[in-house]
Amino acid sequence: MGTGAQRHKEIEHTLASGYAPRPGVFDEFVDAAGVVRPHWRPLVEALSVLSPSGLAQRAERINKRVRDIGIANDAFSDPNEADQPWHLDLMPLIFDAATWRELAAGVEQRARLYQAILADIYGPQKLIERGLVPHELVFADRTFLPPCHGIVPPGGHLQFYACDVARGADGRWRVIDSHAETMAGIGFALANRMTHTHVLGGVFRAAGATRLAGYFQSMQDALTTQCGRPDPRMALLTPGPHHSDYFSHAYIARYLGHLLVEGGDMRSVGDHVFLKTLEGLKPIDLIVRCVEGAFADPLELDPRGGLGCVGLVEAVRKTPNLVVNALGTAIVENRGFGGYLARLSEELLGEPLALWEAPRWWLGDAKARDLVLAEPGRFVIRAAQEGTGRPGRAELGRKLADGEASAFANLKGTIEMFGARLVAEEPVGFATTPALAGHGAGYAANGHAAGVNGAGVNGAGVNGAGAGLVAEPYAVRLFACATPGGFIVMPGGLAMTVDDQRAVALSAARAQTRDVWVLGEGGETPFKSLWRPAIETAAIERSQRALQSRVADNLFWLGRYAERADWLMRVLRSSLNRLEEEAAAANNGLQSARRSLARILARDAKAATIDPAATDAAAVLAMAGLLLDGTSGYGLPGTLDALHRTASQTRDRLSLEVWRTLNTLRGEALRFEFNPTAGVGDVLDRIDEGLAGIAAFNGLMHENMTRNFGWSFIDMGRRLERGFSLCEAIDAMFTNRIEPAQETPALIYLLEVGDSFITYRSRYRLDPMLHLVLDLLLLDETNPRSLAYQLAALSRHLESLPQAKQGTVLPEERRLALALRTAIQLSEVADLSKVADRRQLGSLMHYQLETLPSLSDAITRRYFSLTDDAPKRVIMRTEPSP
Amino acid sequence: MRYSLTHKTTYRYSSPVAQSHHLMHLTPRQLDRQRIIHHALSVKPQPAARIERQDYFGNSVLLVAIETAHNDLVIDMRSTVEVQPAHTIDVAACRPWERVADAIAARPQAVEIGVAPFLPPTRLTTPTHDIVDYARGSFPQGTPVLAGALDLTRRINEDFTFDATATDVSTPLVEMFAKRAGVCQDFSHLFLACVRALHIPARYVSGYILTHPPPGRPRLAGADASHAWVSVWTPEFGWVDFDPTNNLMPGEEHVVAAYGRDFDDVSPISGILLGGNEHTVTVAVDMVPLG
Repeated sequence: MGTGAQRHKEIEHTLASGYAPRPGVFDEFVDAAGVVRPHWRPLVEALSVLSPSGLAQRAERINKRVRDIGIANDAFSDPNEADQPWHLDLMPLIFDAATWRELAAGVEQRARLYQAILADIYGPQKLIERGLVPHELVFADRTFLPPCHGIVPPGGHLQFYACDVARGADGRWRVIDSHAETMAGIGFALANRMTHTHVLGGVFRAAGATRLAGYFQSMQDALTTQCGRPDPRMALLTPGPHHSDYFSHAYIARYLGHLLVEGGDMRSVGDHVFLKTLEGLKPIDLIVRCVEGAFADPLELDPRGGLGCVGLVEAVRKTPNLVVNALGTAIVENRGFGGYLARLSEELLGEPLALWEAPRWWLGDAKARDLVLAEPGRFVIRAAQEGTGRPGRAELGRKLADGEASAFANLKGTIEMFGARLVAEEPVGFATTPALAGHGAGYAANGHAAGVNGAGVNGAGVNGAGAGLVAEPYAVRLFACATPGGFIVMPGGLAMTVDDQRAVALSAARAQTRDVWVLGEGGETPFKSLWRPAIETAAIERSQRALQSRVADNLFWLGRYAERADWLMRVLRSSLNRLEEEAAAANNGLQSARRSLARILARDAKAATIDPAATDAAAVLAMAGLLLDGTSGYGLPGTLDALHRTASQTRDRLSLEVWRTLNTLRGEALRFEFNPTAGVGDVLDRIDEGLAGIAAFNGLMHENMTRNFGWSFIDMGRRLERGFSLCEAIDAMFTNRIEPAQETPALIYLLEVGDSFITYRSRYRLDPMLHLVLDLLLLDETNPRSLAYQLAALSRHLESLPQAKQGTVLPEERRLALALRTAIQLSEVADLSKVADRRQLGSLMHYQLETLPSLSDAITRRYFSLTDDAPKRVIMRTEPSP
Repeated sequence: MRYSLTHKTTYRYSSPVAQSHHLMHLTPRQLDRQRIIHHALSVKPQPAARIERQDYFGNSVLLVAIETAHNDLVIDMRSTVEVQPAHTIDVAACRPWERVADAIAARPQAVEIGVAPFLPPTRLTTPTHDIVDYARGSFPQGTPVLAGALDLTRRINEDFTFDATATDVSTPLVEMFAKRAGVCQDFSHLFLACVRALHIPARYVSGYILTHPPPGRPRLAGADASHAWVSVWTPEFGWVDFDPTNNLMPGEEHVVAAYGRDFDDVSPISGILLGGNEHTVTVAVDMVPLG
């Protein structure tokens, strides 16, 4: 019997030694006597067999994956920003079965309570009439949407509910915020789980923690049931990539197989909302709303709103379960409800409120105002209604809407004028849970908690690798979902280290997050993948999952930018290679390099600063510098950033591997301050890595993407760009006079850039000759790098697309593609390569260079035009005679 | 007095509008002293959808969706309305303004009788420190609510110039307040910001006013206009109207179309268009007394 205790002691010695919870503060990991709580022991045992460096390694693997899949950065954050705002700790937060049952029951009750409150606010309003909910609390809150009054969704207003809970220092659970507007960042929680089990999956299973798949399966079933038909078209409506929750939207849409749509993708016709697709308008069965309700219909709701579509409110009147959560649900997020919930729970549910609200007073109430003004230092004043943002970004302090604070500088004036929109909060302190020190352990590192956690920090220092545990204050977001059988609570969550010195909210300067494990919830849901195999087959994709016009547009440009980056890197590599060899041979093609670089930079004013009298070597070096230093819009870093940005806008269409590849290809990775004296070897190495990255990206797309319309648009973008670049290079190098001695080096350069050198060698075993090279690069339809091949592929794609057939008249884009292809097919290589006269080659290249952009425009007009201009609002004001 | 009321709005677009949605508050309200004898509202081209309903504030709303491409849109409202004179009110015979809030707090059924939504400031009626100071000028301590409201009506009329070029539909209240000029919509918003800052419920009224041609001149067809004024609630008298633009308490010459918290709730016609490019709009309002 001694061995068990002995063993625990050892474990605690190895992993938990030096773990120092704050005196008098509840800690999840160890009890008051400092002994590790039983439900943490499987984890501690598993981790204790690892050396400190083994722990550190795993922590780093987690965070590498966080960076790879892109939780780390907002899609549109500055790619040059080095910091990593999202951090996932190796240490999860673990709940035992008893704690979980208490929490889950409390969250389920909250969801039911808010459901009942919403039914009243948007219905008979008896609660307000009876004074159980103060009328000013509702009417002063702009998230109450009068046009939605009287709309009664059959399943209730709430489909999704999330609840931020925290244990006080006393160990008691309290609700610190409620989220009733959207899915509230559930995608982050799911991504954390996926990432964490990637590294600690074995421990997760051994500990008997509950999977999330069952929850999401039930959610999916509930949503499908709402639609009332099999295989419905469900859309997740997001504000777009600029929104801080966009990662979560894209991730969950992808996981559930929902279309990720933006307001501009939808149009209401009659009582229905349609998706604008390549094949025209397709009805949407269900909209999972991840935009603020007030901005969902500029006609009936906030006139400034453009996140949904015109006519959405009327569509919802006809089909009240079209949008989940229903429009207007944000009203119950108002923190001012807190003080009234206990009474409301008794009245509406006949149950005592299970989870208490954090100490909070609504300042619309005169007594609360007096309390706060008597002792202002005790409280934090905050907006009662904040809206939903990325988890951890709750606003602190006295930030008020619409610049109100500045108008009424003193607290008393502000509270008197706008009390109905404010709450006062009293900090309660937070319980702590362990974090692995030395891996972005934010607060210890920032010094916030260093005083308290000195022992932990020292411990980390002692064992060298920084793999000790420190106690950090935390809060956790829990998620619930309505099903026909009632609300279910996700057996997991999103835990974050919080800034306990400030407000009562899930608020953290750094997003220091952890996965949440729920143990021993018996009968584990068997794993069920949501990826129904049917979704993957092209036939179903083509017939049922129509491609939004906007997404097609983005995919087209994804193809163009990927190819443009590839071409730029080839040109730079071939050019810089020749600089390296310069000493060895005089006629090594530097002139060609100069001409082709100059052509790429032709539209950049900075290129004009290069002295025309400079040597080829100096000019090549200067131009390569412009293309690499990040200042030119035509340069490599800019192109890679555009590629990344475009990809982030279609993130739900790209696999994790594609996304990871792209994350290594950001502009920063290939931006250089050029130092001519240092040589170019390092630059060449990194360009080679970049080319390998693009090749991996192309390969993944080629191998993994179904040959649906999305594929066609990516590939058309690539083909157009490649054809154009090739024509530009040939035009730049050969249609002007070229000395005979320069011709062979120029042809070698062209074959390199055109990636056809090996093909040429294996075919001819001769020094390059113009007519053979032109045949290979322009006319040979079997060479995937030739112009003829690009044009043939473009024609094939265009024929396969919807709207391609219009009676007997060929649509414009097909006519242009046919003309381009015919011009090549009718060309004779002998005419093009005449020694003395390059006019035929010149006119063929000019024709192609003029017509390819027209083809791009025609494709845009035909397929992306449903992405129409933003709707315009016309308001008549009243202008009476005086 | 009985009136023939017509309100015809014509939009001309420089390029075709592919699709448009319009929301209208153009139907006069049925009220104690306002009776609608006849009402017709026509929209050309023919809308694909035409939905009439009551909004949260009890106004009649017409929602139309036009799905056919068009270069012109004509919205034509014709009504016959009978208006009774207003009851004479002694503005001093009501409680001091400070005690209105108490009355509402003591009567949570304020919701039931439709007062509560008009108490908090809105986006278009958010007060600033200067506006509150201005409001206090009409409400010294102990002033009866309606006496204060009448004084505020007079001061806005005196202190502010009617100038349709000074503001447009998106001019913020602070800017209009600083310019001391605007139109009836602006004056009404200012009034609402002032009294709501003192916790007095007040609503925005959209409607029509009879205009009088200069002496000796005939009435010009189409020269009248839509109008806006305000209404203040007291426990003693319920809702009482004030017209700060004309410095009067509306009687027989005002026709009410809609009540709202501010203009956003009751804009006579608002529309969202796809296409259309530039547009011109002509409005002809006629309010002709029938005796």
